[in-house]
Amino acid sequence: MKENISKSILRVDSRKKINGEAKYISDWKFDNVLYAKTIRSTVAKAKILSITLPEIPAGYYIVDKNEVPGINRMQTVVSDHPVFAENDVQYIGQPILLVVGPDREIIYSIVAKIEIQYKEQEALFTLEEAEKKSTVFTDYHYRKGEPETVFQQSGQLIEDEFTTGYQEHVYLEPQGIAAEFKEDTLFVYGSMQCPFYVKNALLDTMDLPEDKIRVVQTITGGAFGGKEEFPSLTACHVAIAAHKTRHPIMMIYDRSEDILCSTKRHPSKIRYKVAFDKNNQVLALDVDVLLNAGAYNGLSPAVLQRAIFAAGGVYNIPHINVRGRNFMTNAVPSGAYRGFGAPQTIFGIEMLFYNIAVKLGVDPLEYKMRHLLKKNDPTSTGGQIREEVKLPEIIKKVIEKSDYYNKLKTNKKYQGIGISLFLHGCGFTGKGESVINGKITLEKNKDIVTLKVSSVEMGQGAETALRKIVAQTLKIPIENVIYGEVDTGLVPDSGPTVASRTTMIVGGLLRETAMEMKTRWNETEQFEISKRYEHPKYLHWDDDNFSGDAYPVYSWGANVAEVEIDPVSYEITIKNIEAVYDVGVPIDNRALKGQMQGGIAQGIGWATIEVMESENGKLKQSNLTDYKVPTSMDIPEIHCSFVLNPYEFGPFGAKCAGELPSVGVPPAVAEAVANALNKTINHLPITPEKLMEIDNGN
Amino acid sequence: MVEAFRPQNLIEALYILSENECTIIAGGTDLMVQRARGFALKPDFVFPLLFIEHLSELKQIYNNSNEIHIGACVILTDIMQNEIIPEIFKEMIGKMASPPTRNMATIGGNLCNASPAGDTLPYLYAVNAKAILQNANGVRTVPIEEFITGVKKTCLQKNEILTDIIIPDKKFDVNIYKRLGQRKGMSLTKVSLLGLADISKNRIRDIRIALGSIAPTIVRSSDIERKMINKSLDEIKQISYEISNQYDKLIKPIDDARSTAKYRKKVSLNLIKHFLENL
Amino acid sequence: MVIEFYLNNEKKKIDIDASARLLDVLRENFGLTSVKEGCGEGECGACVVLVNGRAMNTCMIPVASIMGKSIVTMEGYKHTDRYKAIETGFMEAGSVQCGFCTPGFVMATESLLNQNPNPTDDEIKEGLSGNLCRCTGYNMIIQGVRLAIEKGAGLW
Repeated sequence: MKENISKSILRVDSRKKINGEAKYISDWKFDNVLYAKTIRSTVAKAKILSITLPEIPAGYYIVDKNEVPGINRMQTVVSDHPVFAENDVQYIGQPILLVVGPDREIIYSIVAKIEIQYKEQEALFTLEEAEKKSTVFTDYHYRKGEPETVFQQSGQLIEDEFTTGYQEHVYLEPQGIAAEFKEDTLFVYGSMQCPFYVKNALLDTMDLPEDKIRVVQTITGGAFGGKEEFPSLTACHVAIAAHKTRHPIMMIYDRSEDILCSTKRHPSKIRYKVAFDKNNQVLALDVDVLLNAGAYNGLSPAVLQRAIFAAGGVYNIPHINVRGRNFMTNAVPSGAYRGFGAPQTIFGIEMLFYNIAVKLGVDPLEYKMRHLLKKNDPTSTGGQIREEVKLPEIIKKVIEKSDYYNKLKTNKKYQGIGISLFLHGCGFTGKGESVINGKITLEKNKDIVTLKVSSVEMGQGAETALRKIVAQTLKIPIENVIYGEVDTGLVPDSGPTVASRTTMIVGGLLRETAMEMKTRWNETEQFEISKRYEHPKYLHWDDDNFSGDAYPVYSWGANVAEVEIDPVSYEITIKNIEAVYDVGVPIDNRALKGQMQGGIAQGIGWATIEVMESENGKLKQSNLTDYKVPTSMDIPEIHCSFVLNPYEFGPFGAKCAGELPSVGVPPAVAEAVANALNKTINHLPITPEKLMEIDNGN
Repeated sequence: MVEAFRPQNLIEALYILSENECTIIAGGTDLMVQRARGFALKPDFVFPLLFIEHLSELKQIYNNSNEIHIGACVILTDIMQNEIIPEIFKEMIGKMASPPTRNMATIGGNLCNASPAGDTLPYLYAVNAKAILQNANGVRTVPIEEFITGVKKTCLQKNEILTDIIIPDKKFDVNIYKRLGQRKGMSLTKVSLLGLADISKNRIRDIRIALGSIAPTIVRSSDIERKMINKSLDEIKQISYEISNQYDKLIKPIDDARSTAKYRKKVSLNLIKHFLENL
Repeated sequence: MVIEFYLNNEKKKIDIDASARLLDVLRENFGLTSVKEGCGEGECGACVVLVNGRAMNTCMIPVASIMGKSIVTMEGYKHTDRYKAIETGFMEAGSVQCGFCTPGFVMATESLLNQNPNPTDDEIKEGLSGNLCRCTGYNMIIQGVRLAIEKGAGLW
């Protein structure tokens, strides 16, 4: 009998996590360990005039830019962030030096006595100021059709603008990292998504040969993008300290330090100009995407790419002109966060279509459906939609399950319902997957198979999903499939654990390899097979002009949100979320639902309560007392279901999933609020404070 | 190492205080966070600590001639579970912080922390609660609004301990409590309103309105309340806007990380109106 | 200050700074790493243990406060039948993702059910509202508690 891959199994790692035996990096013990504490800039932009150190007791060390054996820059897409500040600082929280030693209390007393003199310089804080002063890090552009001509000829234009705020990841486990030298080999252990990113950063900074660096991922307590590029920086810090002191070094952030200096979702501003045909159909779109990258560009160009490639949403718009810019400000660097720029632009395009429909006096969903992409349509970058687009079926299901039209009619004032349609490109953008060129290994030893990948379990269920894919392909029990320790010295580089790529790309490779292993199963007792990812030949991408297939395939979805607003306090209560997705084929129904519900909860948080504002470069919400994420009382029952649409290159037909829910839900909530108040919502988060102003017409 | 005292009884505690300037620590839920320094570090206390949470003298709840005495170190959870406590006060406490914090935090701590967002305070102001303070030489009783003198300020002398809070053993006909935070689960209060009223024959016999988090201390006005006595519910409805406006000048909110002054002002006025229109 | 208390049903004695956070004492002095630091400000619940049977945030407890009290952490609690019911419930409902918050949720669940063996969904939500989870969106945790109640019928 054929086993159903979607049938739920128990997560393989849950027992040790429930009973508290799982060891996260802060639970590790090292002999002769020294702790590291980072001294950071307290000003937003300045020259460092002097650093006055107190007397440093024996056994304690100062580690700064002068101790960097290699390059003093953290390697990422743009390697511009100094590992330790040199002569200047560009944001509050920028690392300057470490105090290292055996007793945390003594470290603290040394820290308290360090004096840094700055010559402060005029800093730049907001996206508005940055645009005025043109502090552009990256300026991207692409177009399809003849948007300029259409705009010149079109009489009727609509302009609209949307803004979104910061979002902090609030993975429950704060950043933590450790390093030690065993003889002449550097070992770095920590909570991370991308062990090979960390290794590559260490290669630059430590000037060690490749075989002398090993990066080991420890059980990771949530990440959501927040442990994509940031651990490369902290890894360099502890590695340099270990190099100097020849002791194991541990550095665990507390929550306020984590919030102060770790990356966040990019605040954005998105401007649209729309031209229509005679039937009020959107004919041309001009999109201007502005992201606040913070003080260093880092990973932001990659985020900007995904943001602009999602600018057209699920709609087939004949003429489109998209510009995207990352701006430098003297703020903590923004970085990867679940959805990677797409939540901002999907919010923009969905609300734009809603606003147009309201203006035209037509049903928003009907108006949206008049523009839907379908199979063989060109994408906004001039690639091709190659899969069946099951949005009509998804929409039918979500409106039936939520009773959308009935509620739209019968809702009283202050009750609202909204619907969002969305997609997410699977895996890396453009040629990314061929650049990463991920490699995996399956090793057979009698009846035990070990899968070796650098993809990490960080809560999302990768260990269970990947073991399940291998076990079901080989038709052996999942207990006989071992997930090899994620240690760059032991596993090949299957790529970073990002971009919703792990199940589809890495799982796909594992499936393919396991199929080969199955045919050769009886060859010998022990053998291994390695495979590298090959980008499908039919996909074309021109990286200079951003034209072609930005993604091999897309996942799709529709969400309905119902809200109620208290007319006295403007408090928003989310009553119900109905979500339908096409992620190909679920690898595990329950695990996937868990991913979706969690992603929706983060999306609800970003859309409503998660306020993070910067005032003169200083975050006003600097701890979990002030920065609020949803609790069990803030999240309604979330209904999820799936429409099957197997993808031929995905394992068992699976596509991407992890980011999709966070991309999709914010506009559904925003539409519901707009619907409840009969007002326009152009900004996230929608707080009661903002709603009060909107309702009073300010 | 910070010096610390853990007395056996209240008398010993008062004696220690007469000899030493101490930081008094009960449940610790405010102080431990305010003085926290970071991962795996001890909090930073300047004065010796005086631990009082365990003192049985401070943990009693009892009824005495129409007054309920609540010991300063009674844990919030225990107040919620005590049958002689008025329901509305239990409801308010049930909306404070989170269950683990309510299992540790004391009512006395909430008073002594004297935060404008202290969530027991609207009730204590509304019912004219009294605070009992003791030092080695004696006892004094202070009305709640005199006990709290400003943001994070009380009239507690260095040698005194808050021992009891006294509330009248009285139930009201109408009990309305609305608390707004940044989210529905545990959050600090942005705005709160407690409305209490006694009504007979469709007329107001007694009415109390207390507002939290919108001024340096809880806002309550006996003057405005008095004007509503003996008015019919219909009359109140007609003048609800006017009454809410009389509170306008008393409400002096601030902008902070959690809300805006503008919102706090407007919503407190809305809440007052809403209360008066739904008596 | 010398503190005597019960830790997972064993009598302990430790001479330590009275203001030390119970969180650090459990982790550093007793090696009980199921107790996690997620925020250090009483907001996340990852450091929750049972003190005399009630859930409390150990980051807010100065160690002198636990004199004579009974502390139970996951290291002790995991041997109980009630734990087994919660474990089964959490595993089958998919309550666990990254796991960093999970021991705190187990402790909060025990404390809730100890006081209210038959909570409504709203009471479960309120009872767990001092514990943050960023992975699951809570639906499956609430379901896990429901299942635990079913599996552990009569235990609370």
